[in-house]
Amino acid sequence: MSMLEVRDLNVYYGGIHALKGISLDVEEGQIVSIIGSNGAGKSSMMNTISGIVKRQSGEILFRGEKLPSQANKIVKQGICQVPEGRLIFANLTTYENLILGAYLRKDKAGIERDLKRVYEIFPRLEERKNQIAGTLSGGEQQMLAMGRGIMSAPELIMLDEPSLGLAPLLVNTIFETIKEIKAMGKTILLVEQNALKALSVADNAYVLEQGRITMSGPGKQLLKDPTIAEAYLGHAK
Amino acid sequence: MDLQYYLQQLVNGICLGGMYALMSVGYSLVYSIMSFSNFAHGGVIMVGAYVGFFALTALKVPFLVAFLLCGVGSGLLAVIIERLVYSPLRKRKAPSLYFIISAMGASIFLENFVIATIDGTPRNYPTLFSNSIKIGSLSLGLDSLLMIIVSAVSLLVLMIIIQKTKIGLAIRACSYNEKAGTLMGINSSLVIFVVFLMGGVLAGFAGMLYGMRFIVKPTIGQVTNKSFVAAVFGGLGSLPGAIVGSLLLGIMEIFVASINSSLRDLFVYALLIIVLIIKPSGLMGKPVEDKA
Ligand SMILES: Nc1ncnc2c1ncn2[C@@H]1O[C@H](COP(=O)(O)OP(=O)(O)OP(=O)(O)O)[C@@H](O)[C@H]1O
Ligand SMILES: [Mg+2]
Repeated sequence: MSMLEVRDLNVYYGGIHALKGISLDVEEGQIVSIIGSNGAGKSSMMNTISGIVKRQSGEILFRGEKLPSQANKIVKQGICQVPEGRLIFANLTTYENLILGAYLRKDKAGIERDLKRVYEIFPRLEERKNQIAGTLSGGEQQMLAMGRGIMSAPELIMLDEPSLGLAPLLVNTIFETIKEIKAMGKTILLVEQNALKALSVADNAYVLEQGRITMSGPGKQLLKDPTIAEAYLGHAK
Repeated sequence: MDLQYYLQQLVNGICLGGMYALMSVGYSLVYSIMSFSNFAHGGVIMVGAYVGFFALTALKVPFLVAFLLCGVGSGLLAVIIERLVYSPLRKRKAPSLYFIISAMGASIFLENFVIATIDGTPRNYPTLFSNSIKIGSLSLGLDSLLMIIVSAVSLLVLMIIIQKTKIGLAIRACSYNEKAGTLMGINSSLVIFVVFLMGGVLAGFAGMLYGMRFIVKPTIGQVTNKSFVAAVFGGLGSLPGAIVGSLLLGIMEIFVASINSSLRDLFVYALLIIVLIIKPSGLMGKPVEDKA
């Protein structure tokens, strides 16, 4: 049994059929990447799993059980989304943002330990802990969004385009962090435009096109696939 | 007209402003989370004033008990209005105009409910505190002192809750982005409940202070709309803004009234219009387009 099983998911926005019967599996401890072009439905899929978008039909099972329908209860199950566009709380300090990540946690010692951990991964966040988050740079905000996700100590963390708009050096940092999160024993569902990097770190990957999954397999294997190379890696092999 | 006169007026202004602040934070709290002006708040304040009146005259309970009953009564009423009126609208994701119209409806309903069940005659609170203390040449009525203390303590407690507690952090988070708050595991229904409860309790306190100082009648909800002006003046959605706006408005209103008492309301509502034209975000609010 996979940790997360998505079966035949259909999502509509009014008349737009955004997800057309999507099924996928995420195994515990793996990094699963989803690649696809703009408007393919990647964010819609994540938002449906996290409960902020309602599905028309289909089933989502987490550890074999149906997820509750309210988004805040899904967080309690151990699923945390680091959303596209970061959605950090611009009116609060860096520290307050991180603490909000741990909103549902009661283990004070664990929260302290994870806060230290986040500061180790992103020293910049510690330097800026009392700064209003809205005044952080774009890259710092992305670090904050990921740090906040780590603070919720999820079993499954869903990252929606964490490298979007970042300088190459920072993109590397973000992917290093993704590997580090995996090393912490977490399971990761990753959505990325940066197909090369996303497929390189992935144990498993899916290609999403216009609301449908058109290809899936181990990341390394998809990386070698000529159609993928042409469509997503920007070169024909 | 000497210094002492001005000081006296200043004290009166602070009393009035403090009372406005108790009311206006309710407007601001709701606005900060739900982005609409909860005009039912005036009705909640009015009901608070009645609870206090009957607690003192019919139940003959001591002042402090009556005061707490006001808080409980108005707090419950605010929460009930949210559950019965706003919650269904929320579930349907109705535009904020629907909320405002429903809020006005709730306010008029409460007014007429009181007229129908009690009556429309104005009532005076029994005199509770007639003594005054002298500070230098300044005489400060015990009732005024009480108003200032009650307002200051209540607002301080509110600020501590908002700034220092976990639910306060959740409220501030949801006021920025409710969806992001939900992704942190925050139960937004709980946040809304707490916001209405806190606003309602303070409205009850304010209602009693209002009744003690002025009068109790079904239409005082409209009079308390001045606290809404104060909230807009300070910056709708900002708590410090509501408090500062209220104090300034109270003081200005008293001084305007001392020049010519018929200018009092004219001044307050002219200020509302001027703020909306020149600086809709008020003294401390964040600029937004839709100040419904
Ligand atoms: N709230 C919404 N209302 C209406 N249509 C929407 C909404 N959200 C997404 N869509 C539409 O659904 C489709 C899928 O959008 P989605 O955001 O899931 O794409 P994506 O794969 O994440 O794209 P990107 O890489 O640009 O982030 C798009 O056509 C988009 O216009
Ligand atoms: Mg997207």
